[in-house]
Amino acid sequence: MTYLQYNVKSVPTGWRKILYLNWALVLLLSAVAAAGFLMLYSVAGGSFSPWAEPQMKRFAMGMTAMFIVAFIPIWFWRNISTLAYLGSIGLLLAVEFFGVVGMGAQRWIDLGFMRLQPSELMKIALVMMLAAYYDWLDIKKVSRPLFVLIPVLLILIPTALVLKQPDLGTSLLLLMGGAVVMFVAGVHWAYFAAVASLGVGAIVGVFASRGTPWQLLKDYQYRRIDTFLDPSQDPLGAGYHITQSKIALGSGGWSGRGFMQGTQSRLNFLPEKHTDFIFTTLAEEFGFVGASSLLLLYALIIIFCISSAIKNKDRFSSLLIIGIATTFFLFFAVNMSMVMGLAPVVGVPLPLVSYGGSAMLVLLAAFGLVQSAHIHRPR
Amino acid sequence: MIRTPLRPLARVLEAREKGENPDKIERENLRERHEQMRDKSRIRAEGRLLVLGLIFLAGFGAIGGRMATISSAEPQEPVASASQAAIIAQRADITDRNGNVLATNLATHALYAQPHHMIDKARVARELVQIFPDLEEEALTRRFSDGRKFLWIKKKISPEQQQMVHDIGDPGLQFGPREMRLYPNGALAAHILGGASFGREGVQSAEVIGTAGVEKAFDDYLRDAANGGQPLRLSIDLTIQAALERVLHGGMVMMNAKGATAVMMEAKTGKIVAMASLPDFDPNERPTPLTEGDASDSPLFNRAVQGVYELGSTFKIFTAAQAMELGLVNANSLVDADAPMKWGKHKIKEFKNKNYGPYLSVTDVMVKSSNVGTANLALQIGKERQRAFLKELGFMSPTSVELVEAPGAKPLTPKHWGDIHTITVSYGHGLSASPLHLASAYATIANGGILVKPTLLADAQPTQAKRVLSQESAADARSMLRQVVTRGTASFGDVEGYAVGGKTGTADKPKERGGGYYDDKVIATFASMFPAHSPEYVLIVTLDEPEDRTGSEPRRTAGWTAVPVAAEIIRRTAPLMGLRPDFETDTPVALIRTSN
Repeated sequence: MTYLQYNVKSVPTGWRKILYLNWALVLLLSAVAAAGFLMLYSVAGGSFSPWAEPQMKRFAMGMTAMFIVAFIPIWFWRNISTLAYLGSIGLLLAVEFFGVVGMGAQRWIDLGFMRLQPSELMKIALVMMLAAYYDWLDIKKVSRPLFVLIPVLLILIPTALVLKQPDLGTSLLLLMGGAVVMFVAGVHWAYFAAVASLGVGAIVGVFASRGTPWQLLKDYQYRRIDTFLDPSQDPLGAGYHITQSKIALGSGGWSGRGFMQGTQSRLNFLPEKHTDFIFTTLAEEFGFVGASSLLLLYALIIIFCISSAIKNKDRFSSLLIIGIATTFFLFFAVNMSMVMGLAPVVGVPLPLVSYGGSAMLVLLAAFGLVQSAHIHRPR
Repeated sequence: MIRTPLRPLARVLEAREKGENPDKIERENLRERHEQMRDKSRIRAEGRLLVLGLIFLAGFGAIGGRMATISSAEPQEPVASASQAAIIAQRADITDRNGNVLATNLATHALYAQPHHMIDKARVARELVQIFPDLEEEALTRRFSDGRKFLWIKKKISPEQQQMVHDIGDPGLQFGPREMRLYPNGALAAHILGGASFGREGVQSAEVIGTAGVEKAFDDYLRDAANGGQPLRLSIDLTIQAALERVLHGGMVMMNAKGATAVMMEAKTGKIVAMASLPDFDPNERPTPLTEGDASDSPLFNRAVQGVYELGSTFKIFTAAQAMELGLVNANSLVDADAPMKWGKHKIKEFKNKNYGPYLSVTDVMVKSSNVGTANLALQIGKERQRAFLKELGFMSPTSVELVEAPGAKPLTPKHWGDIHTITVSYGHGLSASPLHLASAYATIANGGILVKPTLLADAQPTQAKRVLSQESAADARSMLRQVVTRGTASFGDVEGYAVGGKTGTADKPKERGGGYYDDKVIATFASMFPAHSPEYVLIVTLDEPEDRTGSEPRRTAGWTAVPVAAEIIRRTAPLMGLRPDFETDTPVALIRTSN
């Protein structure tokens, strides 16, 4: 009998759960997704195909998944956390051996009806696993070395697998998301300080290894770093993406060029305009006002999540919500920073806006977990 | 921290005494301790959450701030890639002496393609061919598809063409700005300006480098950003240049010449006011050099500077001037002019085997252009002194004019300067020099005996003021030249009010493969100065293979060909240069049959 189950008596049951959903969050998610449909419609030159329509279908599927996940009690999800984690690791290994190679990286498993990206699944499974781990762990033991080592391994194993695909962006997201969960769970400061200094050492090592036989990153990754540091160095090559997207952002100005009037994106100057760089289209067509509105929507989602996490007295739920919110935050923060030249181009989509099936589905399912934790919170 | 024991003995005993179950106390205490622990962890978790919230806030702040700065920034095109040193495209203008633009820059565009960004390669190729008919559709399609990421399509396109390409609307077609050298006056002063072409090319700009003429000679200066775009001011006067070219072209056509050249020079400073060589070219579309045949027949060939010709009797005045300078003779001294003159195995004859002898005054030797008289003067001077004098006048080395072609035009002089060469050089055979050489030498006579250095720069300062002739000798020589016009071989050269003085020269053209001279191909030259009593300007007109066919038999001598052309040039340009006509009281308008 855990603390949670003591309070089950006061948890809503059956269809009454609908009333206890965090409807504000549902609304915010729909608003962000709607902005995505609008942009996909625009970059296709004012057409629902080829991107807006499938995206809407997927959103409907995702929403359904969210409701289903939300209605299932949170303790069920906690109980299957380990299973989900192990399953995701298994899928990552499967990608390693049976994956479809797309864009120079092996990231997909073809399930027939859709292509599954296990690394997306892994982000959520990892957060669930860590939340369950810290829920299980006696709070007094949190900072003991052995019990710190276990979650570190839990994080590093999937990170290494994703890095091998290779997908630098997602592996960084996993690393940071996991670290945040550990941080909120109360692991001692000293560990984070130690890791931070090790990280600085690693960066130095990465640069020092360039050109030597033990080179740590691929050449294209070094080029991306170079380009990040100085995009004008190679405006037609590796710096092309970022230069063009900055032009688009700049040309949007305060209020933008107007819906479907963006030249940079519509004239195909922008690469990946419907996926990773969709934010530039939005910024060009709706300007600073539009872009900051989207940022505000994201901020509200994060705020709702954090407040829900604070109110929730269940440790698993609280950590889970924080972990998912962090993953979400990292998604759009990295994407926007990358588009605006604040971070290197690492191939992270803009959550709920970028065209892409599994990311959307997984994210909405994750928000289903947040909703479930919200509905089934101890009262 | 003092921990209360889970089973405090005092309370348990007390409870036992009262008959209560002590286990309740234990359970109670356990619950309390759990709550305490939970509260502690919650406080810590909330603290951590606050830190996390702050980090998120910082993230939002950074993204929002960045968004605002980019939105408020003026959109900028990416600057030229840094992989190569910055290409400086700005090239200084070239103007004439009055500041009229002779060469400037025009902003235009180059067209290039990035096939990997193209939407429809076949359509792009098809539409490009419609805009630029010289392109081939298949070749374009092939080049678009062979995997390259970059290719030039056109180096210079007009704004209309740019708009049409823009209307194709393909993102794989891009424009790079180009500074193009523009010569707004077309072919005017073409040989002086030379031309320019692209050097190193980048996407965003290309170097413009001089390929000939002053563009090449002053390439470093024109490209030097340190000069602040200050234009290069030439001594050319655009108005005079235009008039001179116009008349010279008409004269060349009328006299059926295959080429013509003229140099107008300020007598006192050596500054070139106008210089033309025909046929000419448009430096905007500089033709490619001839790959076969005679380079001197190419329109690119600057006859005034690069062409070295035997300038014939125009040289006689140097012999006369030197003889007077040395005190050997004066203007009225009689000279043996009995023709033909025998020198060893050579026979010196006059034009059409005439005989002006037995004696002629020095003046009449010039007026009648007597070869024999001049030869005898030269023999009195002697070969060493003659050579030294010609060297001082500049006939032994290339001119120092600021054209890249000048150093290559070295005069041809006799290898072994024997007495026979002294004789032939005295009347302008056996020594080839350029019309510009002749202009400088005549300027020395015209300005009273001071050497001048030919220059194209408006602000050139005379570096030397070396006197090679006395005022008197120069004045006597000028008087002789004036009489050549008033009563000698250049009677067509008289321009009323401008007192032209000058000397004709007609030299048979040497055969290309050696072996003597053509008897029906000549180089006809008129070297003149005006006004003769105090000359301001020197004008040299040279026609290549002229033939006046208006008479019963073709006339080729300078008096019939080069002289009327020069006279027309003076008639047209002298008023433009601010010279007022000065009518002499007693002007003989006699037509004297011209001869060499």
